[in-house]
Amino acid sequence: MSNPFSIIDSRLNLSRHYRRIFERPLPEGVTYFYCLGGMALFFLIVLTFTGVVLSFYYIPSASEAYHSIRFIDSKLPGGWLMRALHVWAASGMVAAVMAHMLRVYITGSYKPPRELNWVVGATLFVLTMAFGFSGYLLPWDQKAYWATTVGTAMPSTIPLVGHFIMQLLRGGDDVSGITLLRFYVMHVYILPLVSIFLLWAHFHMIRRQGISGGL
Amino acid sequence: MDNRLKKFYPDYLFEILLVCLFALEGALLLSYVFPPVTGSPVDFSRNFLPRPEWYFLALYQMFKYFPGNLAFIGVAVIPAVILFLVFALPFLEKTHSRRLRDRKFSAVAAAILLVSAAVLTVLSCF
Repeated sequence: MSNPFSIIDSRLNLSRHYRRIFERPLPEGVTYFYCLGGMALFFLIVLTFTGVVLSFYYIPSASEAYHSIRFIDSKLPGGWLMRALHVWAASGMVAAVMAHMLRVYITGSYKPPRELNWVVGATLFVLTMAFGFSGYLLPWDQKAYWATTVGTAMPSTIPLVGHFIMQLLRGGDDVSGITLLRFYVMHVYILPLVSIFLLWAHFHMIRRQGISGGL
Repeated sequence: MDNRLKKFYPDYLFEILLVCLFALEGALLLSYVFPPVTGSPVDFSRNFLPRPEWYFLALYQMFKYFPGNLAFIGVAVIPAVILFLVFALPFLEKTHSRRLRDRKFSAVAAAILLVSAAVLTVLSCF
């Protein structure tokens, strides 16, 4: 009862949970290819950190966005690094998620009883792509603006609902300041909230079911 | 306790952290050597041919093959079918064996999908 941890532990029973996660033996055949999901999570942590720092200085408005990016890149100490890391970690995360999915496919780890975790993981892949798409517009330069114009025009060719989907994405008929705000809200509020919930489910299922191990 | 079995801690966690360390070093190196380039400010009158991020290039290339009103086939119908197959994979595949050689149909389909995505991505660069 002398050290602070045992006082907390005797009340909250933390070490039981610790043992369940940390001291659990793994199945045989767990190689470095089983680290790709962890790598994706790591990139997400880097993206969260750099993203929060960027959001302190970035202004999501059509008149200010470009200048705030310029400010981050050239005036803010270390700002260029935060932005560069955010861009590269984003690419890294997409690559890690894809590689992780491929590993799970090759080892057949989505087989019963893990079907539901595959579905949650596939949803997280779609969310990762949506993160990339919404983040691409935020610098509000020529490349961002016209890429989003093309990207949001694509669904408009769907019969019946296409025009509505495009207007929903753009918040009007053209890509404008409203679109920028919409993409910003997607990028920093909606997608993170949904992703955190699904990640919790993803990891919780892994803890319940264990990892599937080698073939 | 079987000592040959790896545990989450320290074995697996060490491997994960090592991979993360390399990932961070890679990201830092790329950030330093190739920082993102901010283009010119938005000019509504000057149309600009954009290139999406590398992971959307395959989709972007498909867009080119279905001109005009048919574009939705390339950018919505085909991706939706692929996504459906990916999501439904555990329920579509009846075999219980996890080995690739016991699920040849699925493996060939996955290989075709990956090769097509790679080919489309390469084609979009020209």
